[in-house]
Amino acid sequence: MPIIKVNNLVKKYKISQKEHGMVGYIKHLFHPKYKEQTAVNNINFNIEQGELVGYIGENGAGKSTTIKMLTGLLTPTSGEIIVNGIVPSNKRIENNKQIGAVFGQKTQLWWDLPVIESFRLIKKMYEIPDGEYRKNLKKFTQILDLEELLEKQVKNLSLGQKMRCEIAATFLHNPKVVYLDEPTIGLDILVKEKIRKFIKDINQEKNTTVILTTHDLKDIEEVCNRIILIDKGTIIYDGEKETFKNKYGKHIIAEFVIQNKKSNIALETSKEEFEVLEEKEKNIKIKFNHDKQTIMNIVKAISNYCEILDMHIQEEGLEEILKEIYKGETIND
Amino acid sequence: MIKNIKLYGSFLVASLKRMMEYRVDCLVGMVSQIAFQIIELIFIWVIFQNTDNIAGWSFEHLLLLYGVMMLSVSINDLLFDSTYDIGNRLIKKGKFDTILLRPVHPLISVLGESQTSTALGYMVLSVVLIVTMLIKLQITITIFLIIKILYFGILGGLILGGIQTIFSVAGFWIYKSNEVVWSVFQLHKLAQYPIEIYNKFVRIILTFLLPFAFTAYYPTLDYLGVSESKLIYVTPLVVIFVWMIAIKVWNWALNKYRSTGN
Repeated sequence: MPIIKVNNLVKKYKISQKEHGMVGYIKHLFHPKYKEQTAVNNINFNIEQGELVGYIGENGAGKSTTIKMLTGLLTPTSGEIIVNGIVPSNKRIENNKQIGAVFGQKTQLWWDLPVIESFRLIKKMYEIPDGEYRKNLKKFTQILDLEELLEKQVKNLSLGQKMRCEIAATFLHNPKVVYLDEPTIGLDILVKEKIRKFIKDINQEKNTTVILTTHDLKDIEEVCNRIILIDKGTIIYDGEKETFKNKYGKHIIAEFVIQNKKSNIALETSKEEFEVLEEKEKNIKIKFNHDKQTIMNIVKAISNYCEILDMHIQEEGLEEILKEIYKGETIND
Repeated sequence: MIKNIKLYGSFLVASLKRMMEYRVDCLVGMVSQIAFQIIELIFIWVIFQNTDNIAGWSFEHLLLLYGVMMLSVSINDLLFDSTYDIGNRLIKKGKFDTILLRPVHPLISVLGESQTSTALGYMVLSVVLIVTMLIKLQITITIFLIIKILYFGILGGLILGGIQTIFSVAGFWIYKSNEVVWSVFQLHKLAQYPIEIYNKFVRIILTFLLPFAFTAYYPTLDYLGVSESKLIYVTPLVVIFVWMIAIKVWNWALNKYRSTGN
């Protein structure tokens, strides 16, 4: 029995259309024209309790719109969402009791109060039992290193400190499902790691379902076990993270340290053999499809033009794979 | 319901704590508002330089009416100030989304955001006015009268808060929703004078449509002991009625807002 069910979900927005110039704006004031735009176009997925799902896509692909509908902030144009037996847009308050959400830079904490006061208000709102509250607070303080922050006002915290408090606030009431929309945006690497560890720990312990949207694919690599990829409002991939890499990550990137280069290698070789990403006097970086090419052939080909001193090979990461998908290179192969 | 009122209380206390973080802002707000009220009083005084009564009301009567009105205004400011401009303060900045994600009716959260620096100043001013005028008019100040004044002051504040809440929904469509609320409350200024000076049409508006008369005129008549009218006893019903409409209108607007998106 999936905890989240999404069937044929559609969201259309009315976008106002203005002509250029002052005259156009004035015309719009009296005769507004609207164009319909489909942000989410008939998507379907089920998510089981305890899954860690990375919901990814380019800016404007429909990620935030989906999350807003899942949380009940927006009502779908058509289609159905059921979260733990509840239709979020019908029973918003019921739904809010069982979920937690972080939206990028918007804070749910009280800006000019000490962090701990916000936590106390959250305790009251969600009616968290004393014991549970103390246990969670102690644990979160330890993992996210909040000890020094609790008595400070939110407005005096740095972005990273604030986000750590924000994440703690989101999990305080033991939500069944948590939506994290860009939780690591603008944070330094240490804070990112703390937050990733926290999400994994809580998921392990409480089987919390987490849906994460992010542009930092390191978040996905480290936290998620499933990927849903959305593009122009439709889902183009939904499945295991590893399967995703195997399916689309056909390329290998190789870097060579070279000397005595005789000519421009990019000009001498064809794109069929390999693609030159970067070429300098002392080094060259190439990419090739390992279904069609072997590393031995590449080494042979390159050593025709120079001496190879050293080399370094790596598989494509999620980031490179996604870049290719967005550019439309891989998905049609 | 009880839970909601308790939560509203917690939010309000938090909000007032936040306000007190900014002591200077608080003080400046208070002083400027009191100055503004004193100018209004000077205006009434100027009128009475040219006449000794308005529809049978003397200068002292009018100042008593003014004090009674200020008491309900100060209670409205203390409890419901935040609905004054939800468009600009909450919805435009996206803070409303986080409010919608709480397990509480959003109106409770919005009302709980109230922070006013004016309420205290107004309250002091109104108490001073009421007490001096009662003495000047030789009305005996009994415990019963004090309780009555407080009771109708609170009910008046609730009426004003309800009316403000109804019109605050403009904020779901326009950012400058404070201008809508402000326009409605310009009519409230009519309530600082005895309503018999207006024609029937205005009197009906102030009694039945926007029942501002229940926040100052009717209670003052009662304190002066000149009223034969039993209208004052329906004040609690007016409160309930206004808030029922406020909650209905709010829920309706909220549904509209969520289906269009922002």
